[in-house]
Amino acid sequence: MLRTLACLLIICAVAKGAAAQTLQPILQTHAAEVADPSRGSVSVVLDDLVASGLPQVPTFLERWSDKGVWQNTADGQFYYGRTDGDDLALTDIDTGTQTTVDRAGYTELRPNGGVRRVIGTALVQFQLSDPDLGRRQSAIDSIARRPDADQLAPLLASIDGEPDSLLRARKIQLANFLSASFAGDPADRIAAIDSLSRDTSIEARAVLNQILTTRDVVATDAPDGNIARILTVGTDITADQAYDRLVAADLAPAAIPSAAVRDALAANITDGRVGGIPTAQLNTEATRAQAYAALADRGLVPPRLTEEGRAAAIAAHVFAEVYTEDDPAITDAARAALSSVETRVAAASFADLTLDAMSLASIYFLAAIGLAITFGVMGVINMAHGEFIMMGAYTGYVVQQFVPDYTVSLILALPLAFAVTFAAGVAMERLVIRHLYHRPLETLLATFGISIALQQLAKNIFGTQARPLTSPSWLDGAWVMSDVIQISYIRIAIFVLALLFLGLILYILKRTRLGLEVRAVTQNPGMAASMGIDPDRINMLTFGLGSGIAGIAGVAIGLYAQVTSEMGANYIVQSFMTVVVGGVGNVWGTLAGASLIGSLQKGIEFLNPSNTLAAQTYMVLFIILFIQFRPKGIVAQKGRAAAD
Amino acid sequence: MKKTLRTTAVSVAALLSTASVAWAQDCADPIKVGVLHSLSGSMAISETTLKDVMLMLVEGQNAKGGLLGCELEAVVVDPASDWPLFAEKARELLTVNEVDVIFGNWTSVSRKSVLPVIEELNGLLFYPVQYEGEESSKNVFYTGAAPNQQAIPAVDYFLEELGVEKFALLGTDYVYPRTTNNILQAYLMDKGIAEEDIFVNYTPFGQSDWATIVGDVVALGEDGKQVGVISTINGDANIGFYKELAAADVSADDIPVVAFSVGEEELSGLDTSNLVGHLAAWNYFMSAETPENAEFIAAWHDFIGDEARVTNDPMEAHYIGFNMWVQAVEQAGTTDVDAVSEAMIGQTFPNLTGTMAEMLPNHHLTKPVLIGEIRADGQFDIISQTEPVPGDAWTDFLPESAVLISDWKELGCGMYNTETETCVQLTSNY
Amino acid sequence: MTQGFIIHNRSMMRFIGLLGLFTLLVTLGSEAMGTGVISTSLVKTLGKTLCLCLIAIAMDVVWGYCGILSLGHFAFFGIGGYAIGMWLMYARTETIVTESLARQVIPPTPAEVTDAIGAQIFGVVGSSDFPVIWSFADSLILQLLMVVLVPGLLALVFGWLAFRSRVTGVYLSILTQAMTLALSLYLFQNDSGLRGNNGLSGLQNIPGFESTPQATISLVFFWGSALALGLGYMLFAFVVGGKMGSIVQGIRDNEARVRFLGYRVEGYKLFVFTLTAVVSGIAGALYYPQAGIINPAEIAPIASIYLAVWVAIGGRGRLYGAVIGAALVSLLSSWFTGGGAPDVNLGFYTVQWTDWWLVLLGVSFVCVTLFAPKGIGGLFDYLIRKPR
Repeated sequence: MLRTLACLLIICAVAKGAAAQTLQPILQTHAAEVADPSRGSVSVVLDDLVASGLPQVPTFLERWSDKGVWQNTADGQFYYGRTDGDDLALTDIDTGTQTTVDRAGYTELRPNGGVRRVIGTALVQFQLSDPDLGRRQSAIDSIARRPDADQLAPLLASIDGEPDSLLRARKIQLANFLSASFAGDPADRIAAIDSLSRDTSIEARAVLNQILTTRDVVATDAPDGNIARILTVGTDITADQAYDRLVAADLAPAAIPSAAVRDALAANITDGRVGGIPTAQLNTEATRAQAYAALADRGLVPPRLTEEGRAAAIAAHVFAEVYTEDDPAITDAARAALSSVETRVAAASFADLTLDAMSLASIYFLAAIGLAITFGVMGVINMAHGEFIMMGAYTGYVVQQFVPDYTVSLILALPLAFAVTFAAGVAMERLVIRHLYHRPLETLLATFGISIALQQLAKNIFGTQARPLTSPSWLDGAWVMSDVIQISYIRIAIFVLALLFLGLILYILKRTRLGLEVRAVTQNPGMAASMGIDPDRINMLTFGLGSGIAGIAGVAIGLYAQVTSEMGANYIVQSFMTVVVGGVGNVWGTLAGASLIGSLQKGIEFLNPSNTLAAQTYMVLFIILFIQFRPKGIVAQKGRAAAD
Repeated sequence: MKKTLRTTAVSVAALLSTASVAWAQDCADPIKVGVLHSLSGSMAISETTLKDVMLMLVEGQNAKGGLLGCELEAVVVDPASDWPLFAEKARELLTVNEVDVIFGNWTSVSRKSVLPVIEELNGLLFYPVQYEGEESSKNVFYTGAAPNQQAIPAVDYFLEELGVEKFALLGTDYVYPRTTNNILQAYLMDKGIAEEDIFVNYTPFGQSDWATIVGDVVALGEDGKQVGVISTINGDANIGFYKELAAADVSADDIPVVAFSVGEEELSGLDTSNLVGHLAAWNYFMSAETPENAEFIAAWHDFIGDEARVTNDPMEAHYIGFNMWVQAVEQAGTTDVDAVSEAMIGQTFPNLTGTMAEMLPNHHLTKPVLIGEIRADGQFDIISQTEPVPGDAWTDFLPESAVLISDWKELGCGMYNTETETCVQLTSNY
Repeated sequence: MTQGFIIHNRSMMRFIGLLGLFTLLVTLGSEAMGTGVISTSLVKTLGKTLCLCLIAIAMDVVWGYCGILSLGHFAFFGIGGYAIGMWLMYARTETIVTESLARQVIPPTPAEVTDAIGAQIFGVVGSSDFPVIWSFADSLILQLLMVVLVPGLLALVFGWLAFRSRVTGVYLSILTQAMTLALSLYLFQNDSGLRGNNGLSGLQNIPGFESTPQATISLVFFWGSALALGLGYMLFAFVVGGKMGSIVQGIRDNEARVRFLGYRVEGYKLFVFTLTAVVSGIAGALYYPQAGIINPAEIAPIASIYLAVWVAIGGRGRLYGAVIGAALVSLLSSWFTGGGAPDVNLGFYTVQWTDWWLVLLGVSFVCVTLFAPKGIGGLFDYLIRKPR
C-alpha cells in the first residue's frame, strides 16, 4: 500500500518536469538486459523504469511486451517500430518523431513469455484504473497469473471505481482469492476461504491448495508446527521411501547398491581373492555379500546396512507432513472448504465426462450412420465408406479455397459435400455394387479396392500434407459452464448435426414414400418389386443417401481434427463396430452402438488417463466379447429379416 | 563474392549444356546417392519433402561441377512407410544399385530396421531427424538433434524462463516420445520436480479426440502451480490437439506448450491465429535471418516451383549432412565408406542459423538450440538461441546410459562403458 | 489311401514339381552359389513371397473352401513372427552381453546378466525390466512351440466362442478384424513388453551364425520357406481333398443343410480355423527372420484384407490360385513401388508408378471381383477345359 502511494506521489511529483527527462538513457544503461531479457533478471530494469516515474514508461512496457520495440544494431538505440515489407516505420521513444528506414539494420526485441509475465505484473499499477477496458482486463489477467500480496490493496481500491460490471465481479473474485492467501487478519482470511467453498474454478482450488501446501518432515519425536498428518510406514509410504527420506535428512547412512558392492570388491582384489574368496566364485549375490562382509570386518569398506538396521532406523523416527501455514485455524478452514469443493468438482467432472462421451458418440454416430444405412438396410459392406468421409472433408477444403469467408464456405460446403459423395455413392452403386448384390463378401473386396484407389488418388491430387479446414470464428472457443465443465462449440455443432441427421433419417424412413419403399425393399425385394416398387432405384437412392451423409460427416470431422487422405481409414473399423454393436438395420441401434462405444471409451480413458491407446485396446476387446454374447447387437432385428 | 560468381558461371554453363556436360574420364559411373524416404504411406507427409531436398542438393552439386569430377546421381526408392521394406530397400540400394551413401529415414523404427543391413554391408547413412538417442552406429551419421540438443534445453527454458513447476508430457505412443519422456522425467526429478507433478500421457498415431486430455492438462493447475506442456505428439495428431487447445482457450501465457515435432510443415495444415505464443524447440527455423538461410530458401522455392512451401529443421539437417559428406569425399579423394567416415569426423560446415556445425567423434553434430514462438502466419519468432551444443549419443540422465559414451575416433566404439572401461558392442543397438 | 491321394491329386504333383524346380533355379542363381544372378535381396524377397503364399493357401482353405472370410489371419502370422523374434533377440543379445560382461574383473551374477540383457533389449523403448511373456525367450525349443501353440490356442478359443454363438458371414469377418485390431493396438503400446511400435528388430542375424554371410542365411531360409510351402500345400490338399473336404465345402455352400444332415458344423469350422491359424503362425515364423523386423503395423487390419484380396485375385477354392495371387500381387507391388516400372509419359502428364500403383491395384480388385469372380486360377481352368 505504502509502496503504491509512494509511486503515485513520485509520478505526480515528476509529472511536471517529465518533458525534460527521457527514457532512452535509462534503457541504455540496461541495454543488454532490455535487448535480451530473462525472467530472473528483468526486474532490475523494471524497477528502474518504474522508479523513474516517466510517463512514457507504461507505453514502453506495453510495446516492449508486444514485440513492438526495435534496436538499432549499430548504435544500440531503442525505437518503437512496425514493419511494412522490408521497411520499418520507427517512432522515437521519447520525442515521438517518425522515420522510415530499411529493416536490415534493426533487430526486433522479443521478450519471452516469462519476461512478458513479469512486465505484465509491473504494468498492473498503471493499468488497474486505466480508462481503457482492455488495459484493465490485462492488469487483472496479470494479477491472476502472478498473485502477489502487494496487489491486494490496489486491487481492493480499484473495485469501487470499476464501471464494467463483469470486470467488477472478476475483481471482487480475485480480491477474494488474494485475501484468502494474503490478508493480514486471520479472521479476514478465514472468511475469504469459507467463501471459496462453493467455487469450483481452478483458481479457487489453486488458492486453497496453496494454503494447504505441506512439507515432509522427519524427526525423532513428534515434529513442531502445524501438522497435517503423521505418516505410517507401510501404508502411507513404503519402507524404501521412508529410508530414502532418512538418508536425505542425514539421519541414516545411504544404502549401498549392489553395483557399488561389485566395484568395492573389484577394488580390493588381492592375489585373485577378495576377502578370502576366489574372484571366480563371486558370481552369486551370496558369495559377494560374504566377501564384502569380510572386507567390512577389516574396515576396508563401510559396512552394509542390514534389514534389521534399516527397520530399526525407520522405527526410531517419525515421518510427518507439516503445513507451511502455521495457523491451524486457517488450514482447518481451507481443508473444509477444499473438501466441499472437491465433492462439487467430482460431480462436475462426471458431468464433463458425460459431455465428452456424448460428443464422441455423436462423432461416431455421424461417421457410422451412413454405413448403417448401406450396411444395415441393404446388407452391403462398403469399405470405401471412410473414403467418402474423406471426400466430404476435401470438398470442404476446396470450397474454402474459393470462398474465403468461413461462414459462407461452411454453409456451401455442407450441401456440396453431400452432393459430391451422393454422386460418388450412386456411381459406385451403379457401376460396381449392383452386380454383387448376391455376393456380400465380394462387395467387401471390390469396395476395398475402390477405397485404396480413392485414398491414393486423394494423395496424388491434394498431396500428403494435412490440409486446413478452418471453422468459422463463431464456432471458435468453448461453452464454459465452469472450469471443469466445458465443451468446444465445434463439438456442440457436431452434436446438433448428428441429432439433425438422426431426425432426418428417421423422418425419411418412417414418414416418406421413399422410406416406405426402402423398408419394403429391405424386407423382401421380390415382393416389393411385384408391388410396383423399383428396387434398383431404391437401392441406388439408399446408397446415395448413406454416402452423402458420410460426406457431411467428413466436413464435421475435418473441422475439429485433421484432413488427410488417411482420415477415412481411421474411422472405418470404428464405424463398422458401431453398426455391429448397435444392431444392423436399425437407426436406433446405431445410436445405441455409438453411445455405448463413446461412453465406454471415455470411461476407460478416465480410469487410465495416461494411456489412451490402452483404452482403445480394451474397448475393442469388449466389443469382441459383446458380439459373442449378443451376436445381433443391442437392438436385434427380429423375424425373417434377421434370418441371415 | 568471387565464389558466388564462379558458381553462377558454372551453373549457367551447366544449364546451357545440360545434356552434354563432359565429366572426367576416370568416371565410368556416376557417384550414386541413395535416397531412402517414404513417398507413400503414413510418413510420406514428412518424408517426401526430404526427398525433394536431396534432389535439389544433388542437382546443385552437379551444377557446381559434381564431385571428384564425377556426376552425382540420386537413386530414389520408396519404402512406403513399411518398416521391413526399409531394410529390403536399403539392401537393394547397397547391393543392387551400389550407392555410395544413403540419405534417409524419418522414424526411429525405420532406422532400427535399416541398421543391421547398413552395418552388415558397411554402408553409410545420414539420418536427418531429431531422435531419442541411446544409439551409435559406425555407419550412421546423425545430423538431427539428440535429446540434449532439443528436449533438455527446452525444459531448461521452461524451468528458468517460464517458471513452470508442473509438467504434462504428452506424446504419441512410440519410441521417440517414450524415451525422450523417460529422459525428461529423470532430468526433472533431478531438478527437484516431484514425481506427482509430472503428468504423462500417450496417445495413438493420428489421435483426433483431444477434449479429455486437454481438460486433464488444464485441471493440473488446480494446486496453483504453473503448468507447462511438453509435446512429443507426432504428425497429423497435432492438428486436432492444437485445435482443441485453441477451442479451450488455453493461452500460451497460462499454459505454454513446447513441441518437439511441430515445425513449419505441420503448422501449414492449420490456422495458427489462436496458437500464437506457443513454442517449439528445434535447431533451425525458417524465420532465421541469415544470408545462408535466405539463399537456401530461395533455392528451395526455385527448385520446387512454389513460393508457399516452407523449409524446416530436418531439411537443414540434410543440407548440412550432404555438404559435409561432399567435403569429406573431397578430402578423402574417394567415396570409400571407411575413408569417408574417417574424414567426416571433424568436418565443419556453416549451418543456416549463423553458426558452425561440426561433426563430432560420436557421429553427432554440434547444433544451436532455438526456441520459437508460433506467429499468426505459421512461422516462428526465434526468442532464444544458444551456442552450438555438442550432441550426446547416450544421455547422462538415465542411469544405464550415463556410463556409456561413443567415440569412433579414439576408442573406435559406439557403446563404451566408462565404468568398466570396455566396449559393450561394436554393432549398434537395434 | 495316401498313395491314392497323391495320384489323384495331379495339380498338387505339378505344383510340388514346379516349386522344386523354382527352388533349384533360385539356388543355382544365388550369390551363395557364387553365380550371383539373383541378388541376396531378391532371394530374401522370394523367400518372403513363399511364406506369403503359405498363409495365402491357409486363407484359401478357410475362406475359399470353408466360407469363413477371416480378416484376421495376419494376427496369427504376426504372433508366429513375434514368438520366433523373441528368441532371436534374446539369444543375440545374450551373446553380446555375456561377452561384454566377461571382461569385468568380478564375474557377473545371473541377475546382472539378465538385467543387462533387459537393458539392452528394452533400452531403446525406455525401460529395462523383463516382462513375463519373455519367460521362455531363452529357449529356442519353447519359443518354437509357442509359434504353433499361441496362434493355435488363440484361434481355438476365439473360434469356439464365435462359432458357438453362430456368428457368421459379415459379422464374423468384422469380429476377426476386431481381433487383429485389438492385438495390434495392444502391441503398439510400449507397456505390452514387446517393444511397442519398434517391435523386434535385427532378426536376420541368427545367433550362433554370426559369421555366416547373409547370402547363405537367406538361401537357407528360402529353402525352409519352400519346404514349408510344399508341406503346407500337401497338408491342405489332403484336408480339402477327402470326405472332410466335401463336408467343409458343404458348410461353405449351405451351413444349415450340412447341420441338418447331422454333421457337427462348429467342430469342422473350428478345426479348419485352428489348423490354418497354426500354419499362418509357422509362415510368420519363417517370414520375419527374412524381413529382419516385426512390429505391430504388420498385423494392422489392412494386412489381412490384402490377404483376402490376394486369394480373390488368384482364385478362391483352388490352392494354386492362392499361390498365384499372393506371389503375383506382392511381387508386382514391390516392382512398382521400387521404381522398377518405367514412368509413362502421356504428354500432358507423366504417370509415376510409385504414385499410381495403388490406384491401379485398387481398380484391378474391382475388375477381378466384377469380371473374373474365380480369379486368375479360374482363367486357368477355362483355358485347360476349352480344348475338350
